[in-house]
Amino acid sequence: MYTIGVDVGGTYTDLVATDASGRTTFAKSPSTPADQSIGVMTGLDELARRLNVSRAEMLAATDRLVHGTTVATNALLERKGARVALLTTEGHRDVIEMREGLKPDRYDLRSPPPEPLVPRELRFGVRERLKANGEVLIPLDERSLDEAIAGIRKLGATSVAVCFLHSYLNPVHELAAVERLAKALPDVSVSRSSDVLPQIKEYERVSTTIVNAYVEPIVRRYLTNLERRLKEAGLKGSLFVILSHGGMAPVEEASRLAAGTVLSGPAGGMSGGRRCAELLGIPDLVPFDMGGTSTDISLISDGQASLSADGLLAGQRIALRSLDIASIAAGGGSIAHVDSSRTLRVGPESAGSIPGPACYGNGGQAATVTDANVVLGYLDAAAFMGGQRPLDRAASEAAVDRIGAAMELSRVEAAAGIYRMINLNMADGIRLMTLRRGVDPRKFALLSFGGAAGLHAAEVARELEIKRIIVPTVASVLSAWGMLTSDLRYEMSRTHYGKGPRITAGEVRELFAELEEAAAGRLRSWFKGPLSIERSAEMRYGEQIFEIDVSLDGLDWNAADLVDQIEQRFHRKHEELYTYASPGQEVVFVNARVAAVGAVAPNDQNTKPAASAGACTPRGTRQAFFGGWREVPVYALETLQPGHSLTGPAIIEAETTTVLVDTGDHVSVNALGWLDIVLR
Amino acid sequence: MSAKIDPITRSVVQHRLSSIVKEMGEAMLRTSYSQILNSSRDFSLGVCDTRARLIAQADHLPVHVGALPWATIAVEARFKDVQPGDVFLLNDPYHGGSHLPDLTVFVPVFDGDQRLLWTIVRAHQSDIGGATHGAYNPGATEIWQEGIRIPPIRLSEAGRPREDILEMLALNVRNPREFRGDLAAMLGAAHLGERRVAKLFSEFGAPVVEAAIEAILDATEQQTRAVVSTWKDGVFHGEAFLDDDGHGRTDIRIAAKVTKKGSDIEVDLSESDPQSTSFVNSSHANMQAAVAMAFAYLIDAEIPKNTGALRPLKVIAKQGTIVWADPGRPVTMCTSHPSNEIVEAIIKAMSASCPERAMAGWSRRFRIAIQGEDPRTGKQFIWHMFHARPGGGASSGGDGYSSIGEWHSVGGLKFGSLEVAEARFPLHFRQHEFREGSGGDGQFRGGLGVALDLVLETAKPSRGNTAGDGARHGPCGMLGGEDGQPHHYRLLSEGREPRVLRTKEVGIELQPGDCLEIRSSGGGGWGPPSKRSAEARRRDAEQGFTSVSTERRG
Repeated sequence: MYTIGVDVGGTYTDLVATDASGRTTFAKSPSTPADQSIGVMTGLDELARRLNVSRAEMLAATDRLVHGTTVATNALLERKGARVALLTTEGHRDVIEMREGLKPDRYDLRSPPPEPLVPRELRFGVRERLKANGEVLIPLDERSLDEAIAGIRKLGATSVAVCFLHSYLNPVHELAAVERLAKALPDVSVSRSSDVLPQIKEYERVSTTIVNAYVEPIVRRYLTNLERRLKEAGLKGSLFVILSHGGMAPVEEASRLAAGTVLSGPAGGMSGGRRCAELLGIPDLVPFDMGGTSTDISLISDGQASLSADGLLAGQRIALRSLDIASIAAGGGSIAHVDSSRTLRVGPESAGSIPGPACYGNGGQAATVTDANVVLGYLDAAAFMGGQRPLDRAASEAAVDRIGAAMELSRVEAAAGIYRMINLNMADGIRLMTLRRGVDPRKFALLSFGGAAGLHAAEVARELEIKRIIVPTVASVLSAWGMLTSDLRYEMSRTHYGKGPRITAGEVRELFAELEEAAAGRLRSWFKGPLSIERSAEMRYGEQIFEIDVSLDGLDWNAADLVDQIEQRFHRKHEELYTYASPGQEVVFVNARVAAVGAVAPNDQNTKPAASAGACTPRGTRQAFFGGWREVPVYALETLQPGHSLTGPAIIEAETTTVLVDTGDHVSVNALGWLDIVLR
Repeated sequence: MSAKIDPITRSVVQHRLSSIVKEMGEAMLRTSYSQILNSSRDFSLGVCDTRARLIAQADHLPVHVGALPWATIAVEARFKDVQPGDVFLLNDPYHGGSHLPDLTVFVPVFDGDQRLLWTIVRAHQSDIGGATHGAYNPGATEIWQEGIRIPPIRLSEAGRPREDILEMLALNVRNPREFRGDLAAMLGAAHLGERRVAKLFSEFGAPVVEAAIEAILDATEQQTRAVVSTWKDGVFHGEAFLDDDGHGRTDIRIAAKVTKKGSDIEVDLSESDPQSTSFVNSSHANMQAAVAMAFAYLIDAEIPKNTGALRPLKVIAKQGTIVWADPGRPVTMCTSHPSNEIVEAIIKAMSASCPERAMAGWSRRFRIAIQGEDPRTGKQFIWHMFHARPGGGASSGGDGYSSIGEWHSVGGLKFGSLEVAEARFPLHFRQHEFREGSGGDGQFRGGLGVALDLVLETAKPSRGNTAGDGARHGPCGMLGGEDGQPHHYRLLSEGREPRVLRTKEVGIELQPGDCLEIRSSGGGGWGPPSKRSAEARRRDAEQGFTSVSTERRG
């Protein structure tokens, strides 16, 4: 039996299969953005070829195919989603366009506001109103609802978001509106806020519901189509989709909560990172996934990836809980330029994959990070992508020379400057991430993966005083590999509205019991294996406006002082994050959260026996810049065996990635065949 | 000072300094206690050197930025014996501060025994003592009625906090716990910055960092001068008016005479009206900051806002005028008024010199606070209105932002969830939607204000205070664009005549069931309305941005 992970990235679709013995096989195939399923099917061909079986045979022996997709992400970024209408409470139809009164960039007063996903004429106020305790103040007025529905029909919306004030406490009006909509406009998709995100705070709820309505039709169409093609090609097992929270769900669920798939791709990387932490016995890791146009940074602390509800993508607020991943628009394709104060800047502009860095020879003139790496000898122009796509070194030199000329620097000084600046950008991203989480980056190890990470990891780590870097052999396909270790997950949340100021133990138990029953019930309909429940609560101090998410796992649920214990957890977490706690202050319990989790058994332990000799032989040497030009040994990653070790300067190359080992840094190859680098 | 430093090192040091202030800001946002800081983000951070030059700042509140050097001058003048581990504090507008609610802390950064830089955090306190809650006292006729005055003082001595002083300060405000929490957050952020700057010294050595700083300021100055030199030379005049001072004077004039020659700009505010008896006066530092803010809005957004960027700018003003009050005058309103009017006067003047850069008027602040009893809990509550954000000005780049803010906050002030407000306070938001037709017409239309109908669900009478301006003068149109609609707030009360609320009132009586009909201003329009495209007008009509339709609903 196989388990297959498929991660569709911007340039490549990565595939990983494991068989019953734990043997892992990789394949890569070009992505096909217009219809991602084409690249997926081609990639499956390639994967089967590497397994020496036919695609049909492989699929017939596959029990689970786990998929990370960027369909929703791209629809949002490229503004190619559905034509959405909003039904909302009369007198409140501008919530999304008000953006809580905020705009980015304080000193830019000459840029017009962004266009909201739903323009104002498609936002319909319906006469109805609930009070803050969920009681009906104004009953739903059917005539005003019918007028709105007539407007939707007239303007030709294909998807409708329904979001009324205080519906998180009482969905009665939303349910009635949805029912009437379904009758009047049966072909229109509907996203209901009390289903998508039944939580207090109207901006988060309406924005998330609108995003869901915007991407739902396109995600559903894509996944349904892919599932059909896979079945036709002989897939026996199930297709699961990775969601932004890192768990997976079947096609119907991923379509219903399509806004929850926007981080589907990077979420696989996080799962991979968590699995690495487990295999290595290193609980604190910074997964550092640097690619061509963007870099994803996250944290695994005490073996756990953290979730947050602060999501923002393409300017749209998505308040569904998702893995806490910071995406920086910088990577190998980032463009260097000299601004009018003659300061060197790298990014945020990127050469992308077309035209790409100057050395790609596709007409790109700008000097990118990749060009600097070529000039510095870090990348072997002739052997790039296993020699399939040699790079134009002269073009890199010419591009870097233009930067040098603008700053009166030599070629190599300019290239080293570009290399330095991009590393600072990366280090800043990691530092902000750790600061937000209240942890010290120095105790973490850097988990280097993605095509470009190995070239930069050492200097980024040094900048942060991180001492250790891990490069897994699966580095170039870590997201797809991680998907194989993802659990099934179904999340629910509910806002608490109590009678008194403080929640009671009875209310806690009742609230969670309801959520747990519903979540477990939903998960059981997809999954027969063992099931566990994770509980958490979002709480804040009385006067604050930010809630923090506090895990309630491991508490004695029957204890008489349950609420005290919950509040204790909150104080501790607050202190951890913000350096202080205020015991004695009123603590407000806002949202209860439950995740039903169905664990799948990972099957990926590819440990190898240690090689007899500690030393290893380079396949050659080349000139590279390590403080000065040096003749540096170059190793092939596939020849490095467990037990091998070496000391920098050195360059380690694989088909799709290059790892730079700085002078004095020590590399040992661990039992998994991965590089474990200790900085000098 | 070495004039030569390699450009990569300069780029690296500049990048580091700007990431340090960003991290300080992140720490502030995450650790501050009161809503005015963690939600409304009314704070700023900077790094100055011992010559009080601003080296780096995070883009938080523009009106604070130009003020930090003046505060630094006051600390440097007062203390000659600064030691490692010291912390300094001030708020007094006649000792380098802007207005009393803004506390500023300073942490010195040493390299060995050489003192080189300051990390600075300024944050607005929700209360600072004085005659009324929340610092804004329209009745004040002298600064002693506005709160506790703190000249530059030593808050920590060689690493030991002076608890006695802290206790005295906390005793003088109405919310000592919040006050202490916010001060702790400020100190935490300043110390975080101190550690990171110290590391910069140890990595590069102080001489290199110092040389890099000189090079950064010089490069920023050149960058700014290159922009300014493209503008038309000449002497230009602009004026703006405060509605009133709440004490009987109306149409108080702020006059800007701007002389632009080559890459230099001289702003002369001397012809502005005499000072007032009320809190609409500006302190000296705040006036300087307002001029710097106007200039910052006109140059490129990407230019770092440090002392180098301000070198082409010379400011002239006369003490005793509304923009620079004599010692002892009340000034609490000044960070919004007359700051907003100073900015508007300068930008109006400059519209003849750099028309493509001059944006139309952003709005003015009109705040309201309600104090009463919540019938659901029997407890007292105080609610500050951050909702009904007014409109932003249009510009050559396009229409203005709707529901966005004032000249001094420009989209940096967040309003909270209505659902949360209704759950926590006895308030009902019957309507909170764009105020149609409020944006000034023009080739590019001003952003819309907001129409808020707020009903009091109290059981006993409560009281309201207002503070602000802009109910008489709407945000200015620019280059033929029309003014936005001014603020218009009314009190609708059963059995009483509807009453228009003034911008500076204390003790407004609010009965249960009363409705505050709040209509915040729209931004000014840019360019002649005749040039607005037919397509833009069609979209305005479809979206109901321009139709003055049903004012009352629900």
